[in-house]
Amino acid sequence: MSGAAEPLSGATERIPRGYRVGAWEVGEPIADGGWGWVYEGRSAGGTDGDAVVALKFLPTAGLAPRQARGLVESARRESEFGRRTRHPRLIRLLDSVVLDEPDRPELDGAVVLVMERAERSLRQLLETEGLLEDGEGVRILTEICEGLAYLHGQGWVHGDLKPDNVLLMADGSIRLSDFGLSAELDGTHGTHAWIPPLGTPDYLPPERWRAPLGERGVQVRPSADVWALGIMIHQVFTGGASPFPGATAAGRGAAVQEFAAGRAPLRLDSAVPPFWRGLATDCLAPTHDARAAHTAQDLLARIGAAAGGDGDATTGEGTAPAAGARRRGRRLVVGAAAATALGAATGAAWWYAVGGDDAGRGKGDTAVHAENISGTSAPPAAHVTVFNVEKLCRDQKAERDQQCSLGLAIDPLAAYTVDNVVPTRVWHGDVLPAECRMSQGLPVTDEVGTRSTEWYRVRLPGDATPSKAWLPAVRTKDRPTVSECA
Amino acid sequence: MSGVLIHLPQEPALTVRLGAGEVARFGRGSDTMPVELRLDDPAVSRLAGEIRVSDDHWLLSNHSTTQSYLVENPEGAGEYLRVPPRRVGAPIPFEFARVVLPTRGSGVSFQVFAPDHVYLDPGGPDGLPRGTQTLTAYSLDETATYFLVLVALCEPRLRDESALAVPTTPEVVERLRSHPQCAQLTARAVSAHIDYLAEEKLRINPPADREPGRGARRNGKREALVGIALRFGLVGEGHLRLLPTRTTAAAGAVRTGTGRR
Repeated sequence: MSGAAEPLSGATERIPRGYRVGAWEVGEPIADGGWGWVYEGRSAGGTDGDAVVALKFLPTAGLAPRQARGLVESARRESEFGRRTRHPRLIRLLDSVVLDEPDRPELDGAVVLVMERAERSLRQLLETEGLLEDGEGVRILTEICEGLAYLHGQGWVHGDLKPDNVLLMADGSIRLSDFGLSAELDGTHGTHAWIPPLGTPDYLPPERWRAPLGERGVQVRPSADVWALGIMIHQVFTGGASPFPGATAAGRGAAVQEFAAGRAPLRLDSAVPPFWRGLATDCLAPTHDARAAHTAQDLLARIGAAAGGDGDATTGEGTAPAAGARRRGRRLVVGAAAATALGAATGAAWWYAVGGDDAGRGKGDTAVHAENISGTSAPPAAHVTVFNVEKLCRDQKAERDQQCSLGLAIDPLAAYTVDNVVPTRVWHGDVLPAECRMSQGLPVTDEVGTRSTEWYRVRLPGDATPSKAWLPAVRTKDRPTVSECA
Repeated sequence: MSGVLIHLPQEPALTVRLGAGEVARFGRGSDTMPVELRLDDPAVSRLAGEIRVSDDHWLLSNHSTTQSYLVENPEGAGEYLRVPPRRVGAPIPFEFARVVLPTRGSGVSFQVFAPDHVYLDPGGPDGLPRGTQTLTAYSLDETATYFLVLVALCEPRLRDESALAVPTTPEVVERLRSHPQCAQLTARAVSAHIDYLAEEKLRINPPADREPGRGARRNGKREALVGIALRFGLVGEGHLRLLPTRTTAAAGAVRTGTGRR
């Protein structure tokens, strides 16, 4: 609501310039939404004459009493939220005023929320700048995740997370805003909250499209915000494009349903860097249960870990010194993503290949090699134990959930596409006999950013065909002393 | 987005739900040509056509080489589309549709519902771009008969005649009778509209075991519909103008109905 970029032809007349709201004087209109208007406000003759705020008017006049009640409810949620939370990543609510204007029925009873003045919304930024520089997108997403992790940690769900509600301050920092649909998680169970049946179609998770409506509204869980974050990750790296195809929001909603039903793979744009691709895929896990494994706190930890490691994996800069090399890398990634989805391992557990040229190989490999170089004579019975970096998959390894299965390649030098995967899947904890290793195969990066060009040729259990396949070294913690494959 | 519902009026009635991107073939069928929707009439081809869900609507393909199919909008005052022979993927814009295949007799037909049609919220700026606006996640066609039924159900509470009473099905039929769109409206149709609203449009949680003593399930459903439609502003005072003006007799009937409870 507070970020619409359209010209405000119809809105300018609503509240005259200079109109007083508490200690504030109304200035330029900022935004106009279906439910309210946002104006700039300046301190009216106080000591801090330069202070600038945003005044969000939620008018109740001209509405049926029940609709007005709904708006007051929304304003109450927002100011309640503002009073109880304070965080550098959330827009600050400074005050709220109820207008008493018996002579001006259109304003009488309106609720005005006085908030920090932001410069523009993320949506406006994406619309005017198109593609952001890598570093900026990464910083914005990290800050969004910080705000979300705090919000969820306090037991709240945002409920309407989208680029319009991500505001940029004058110093470039991020504030989450528009808490009109935010709700506190249910006190007894703490798993969900209830909000009115409102939402922005492009950011609703698949389960919301079929969510039943009760007297308290619809149920939302923090995983709904995580889904919206996944959409925004994609948008930030693609100049605002949704990962789901379709000309209209309804079309994209249908594409979300097709994806959730397993009838279409998730096709992320190749412009999304590998690390963020993994993160977005987890945020866009098709079910609440799969998504719940990735809390905002976990995602933030992953971002922190990746940014702190060798060559900042969050920007992809450590692995892509030249634009040409990077473009080649991206093409490979597309193939890998499609293969994964077709291989029924959508969601949590998948991995992807990056790079393909020497320049693209990271420093991670060298360490792995060093451990192996010593062992040249292979003992006859070397084994590797499959390791899944997803904790949930490790905890639930006994269930052998399809979403936790990992793939094996037919050829470690070829692109990891659907044609290059054996039908046999493996799970965390599986022990496979290792025959030999290939130290210079296609580089593989796992979900937390560990890379390696090393592969092990393993024998598959039972009478699987083919009987042998290749496991990327990032999929095991073992470093068996096997010789280089002939 | 819940896809489309296909309803075959045969004995026993068959209802098929298709999700986004799914396909159902229809025709007479045979061992070598299985179809999801069997239309048992010698004049219908083994594979007469197919329905594919796309976005919030559906596409009709006509596999016949000689016959056109008609797609009627039962609420559109005679509005229909003709899908010529061999046409592939004709988009059907109706929320309610009846597909009619020509036969010797009166024709074979089945119904297709597309409850996902999206409408912008009322009350927004007229004719201005709306961007990525927050919308009511349950959008209703205010020109559809089901919306009239919903307004009629909400009327007593909107007029503050009674905080409790929800009109019965016969009362709704009576109330809407003089509306040009509802001259043929039957009690059965009103019940079907109520079910459609509750199950497909608003997806209401039936008030399960709140009052186990009062068995009438549809009654509970009607009350839940009214409660939710009013609580979330889906129906407001402004919608009362959609209803025909009340004659004194009709107003009296509603009051009598209220008094009986």
